[in-house]
Amino acid sequence: MWLDQADGFAEIFRGYLPYYLLVVFPIFIIMSPANPVAASHEFSVYRMQQYDLHTVPHGCRSASFNLEGRSLSSWSMSRHCVVARIQDITIDQFVEIRSKAGALLLVLPKNDTLLTDEQKEHIKLLEMAMMQQDIGIPVYFAEWTPEFEDIIKDLQHSFITDDKSGTALEAMFNTVSSNGYQIVVSAPTPAKIDSKPVTIHGKLVGRSGAAQTIVIAAHYDSSSVIPELSFGADSNASGAVAVVELARIFSRLYSAAATRGGPSLVFMLTSTGHSLNYFGTKKWLEEHLDAVDASLLQDISFVMCLDSISSSPLTMHVSKPPKAGSPAQSMKARLGAPLVHKKINLADEFLAWHHERFSIRRMTAFTISSLQSHKDPSRNTLLDTPSESSFRNIADNIAATARALASHIYNLTEEDNEEDSILYDEALGVDEASIRHWYKFLSSQPRSPQVITSTAPNGGVTGALERALSKYLETTVSAHALDKREPEYALYSPTRAILYVYSVKPAVFDLILTLAIVAYLTLVYFAIQLFPRFYEEYAKVVTGKAKVN
Amino acid sequence: MTLYHFGNCLALVYAPYHMAYKFSGISEYATFSKCVYAGGLYIFTQLCKMLLLATFFPDSDNIQSGGEYDVFLEILKATVDLADLLGIYVALNSIPGKGHAKILTAAIGWASAEVLVSRSVLLWVGARGSEFDWRYVRSCAESNVSLLQHAASAALVWLCARSDLPRRLLPPAAALLLLVPYRALLEEALAGALALSAWGLLALRAAHALGVALAALAMYATLVQHSALS
Repeated sequence: MWLDQADGFAEIFRGYLPYYLLVVFPIFIIMSPANPVAASHEFSVYRMQQYDLHTVPHGCRSASFNLEGRSLSSWSMSRHCVVARIQDITIDQFVEIRSKAGALLLVLPKNDTLLTDEQKEHIKLLEMAMMQQDIGIPVYFAEWTPEFEDIIKDLQHSFITDDKSGTALEAMFNTVSSNGYQIVVSAPTPAKIDSKPVTIHGKLVGRSGAAQTIVIAAHYDSSSVIPELSFGADSNASGAVAVVELARIFSRLYSAAATRGGPSLVFMLTSTGHSLNYFGTKKWLEEHLDAVDASLLQDISFVMCLDSISSSPLTMHVSKPPKAGSPAQSMKARLGAPLVHKKINLADEFLAWHHERFSIRRMTAFTISSLQSHKDPSRNTLLDTPSESSFRNIADNIAATARALASHIYNLTEEDNEEDSILYDEALGVDEASIRHWYKFLSSQPRSPQVITSTAPNGGVTGALERALSKYLETTVSAHALDKREPEYALYSPTRAILYVYSVKPAVFDLILTLAIVAYLTLVYFAIQLFPRFYEEYAKVVTGKAKVN
Repeated sequence: MTLYHFGNCLALVYAPYHMAYKFSGISEYATFSKCVYAGGLYIFTQLCKMLLLATFFPDSDNIQSGGEYDVFLEILKATVDLADLLGIYVALNSIPGKGHAKILTAAIGWASAEVLVSRSVLLWVGARGSEFDWRYVRSCAESNVSLLQHAASAALVWLCARSDLPRRLLPPAAALLLLVPYRALLEEALAGALALSAWGLLALRAAHALGVALAALAMYATLVQHSALS
């Protein structure tokens, strides 16, 4: 009996089955595509910032990975991709992941406004820590979705661990019951983006005779750990909005000969801000100061830079305290802003404020900002999103700045007179609708240097700002070229990618499945073998008589 | 997941069919060509059914995607499956041999063609992907159940077509036969009512198929007894 069965089993494999399979399978495998099925989860993810500044690398240096997903607590080696919520990961954990894990995927909070202040502070500090050094592993960010929440929960409660504790049966049960995730991003290797920073400027010519020039400057890019999600509402959509609004107010005053002020006004917007050391401003100054035709920046009275003005009170940052009676001192008095003095440190990697670029070229310059320190992490955060209260502050701050500037230009000392002050309000009133529009528009666009310097100068945010300014004054857009041999900075793509999450089982699972299938097939085999005997008994029961034939 | 996983699934599908063919004794009748013929008939029947469905229920796909579930329409569509019974009948008639060999040959040919046409592509595309899903293992197990189901249907068709079937057996055999086209519908309705999982549905199918098969076997045994006595 037993020998018979063994014979039967052997027959399956002795038959024609294996031979033609040996031929057919390789042909099929060669013919079919490598990965014929789409993943059940597909996400759009954003890669972490990557750039070089003076050939010093910053940010994440790689893009592709194909690794097993693990939670913050269960990852152990470089073949794991750590998946976590951004508010859960501590800086210490990040440092460890940076050096030992294979990749990092951070899920952004569901809703910024629901975060506590503590969490916000934590995210800002984490961003700062992440940008401090270059990171060898790929780091991606994903927007919150319910699917991600499920995956994170699954990973956190997963039984898949590397320690060999527990019985073999337990381990076997775990491999069958638990889900694993294979996380795949196939992105091109990081490559330098052809970056063309631009500076937009326009001039309102003052009364002839008075050749003094006041420059009002702001950068309109933003910086955060995710280029595609740098909305920079405070830093520095607010400054750019202020420049546009000031241009509008003063172009009206300067359009009539009677109300034209003495000094000329130059409005400038540059597309590379603090994250790239105000490169655009540096080039722009070189072009206009060192060129033969240096008429634009003759006899600078002062340069006023606007940076992050969406809270109050305003502060005036200088690199050299203004002398009594100087125009800068007069502006300070009229603004009523406290002075913060910080010397330029050329040994530092980053310049602290925009005005330092001008101060290096021996111009009187200062930055108006509501931030107390240039090290404030809110200048480089993805949490810098628009809000109604910031908008109110911006409108108030622009009005205050416009008033101070006008009172300086027209050299007014007394505003106590009520009639006069109504007159000023009319002439200097800010157009809230326009400010709101521009603030909303700028803070809804990702404005990292990667995004805005790689689009054409007449398109995107740059084009929109240029068209806005050209309504009030004649604008010139100057594109700056990087040094060919030693580029001052380099930006890298890709900034976004598609992430695939496959649910997988551990390798042992298939082995267990094979055992189960073999057991099942043995059962089927015996069922078929025993069928005649079963039929006999069954027929007896059904008909109540012994089978005759 | 991997090629290995695909191999697992393939073994689960193929081995029972192979064993049913090898060890049931019908291979001694050298009826492999008849199996292929039954399979060809299966494909032909499906084409005819598709033609019918496309003619009389042209927008049935839209209704399904719309989320509405029209019971009457589903029953009507299932009625078209009566063509399957006709196809099995033709296959049975064209196969020579004793009753049980006829039934098994037709059932194996019919069910293998179904596996080949409707499951193999899904398996080839799905089970080899990086994504793991129990669906593929389940689909393989389901194909085993469907072999049993088709064997039961073929036996019922054969029984009803016999002129020497005892009179008292005709009503139950005919009733079971008429229920065959609606079995998927009934199973799904019951699973929905009991809120069964996909594995539960599979177990229900297996139980149902087993029940029908045992009933058919009982009638077959009675018929054999009857004809031996008379």
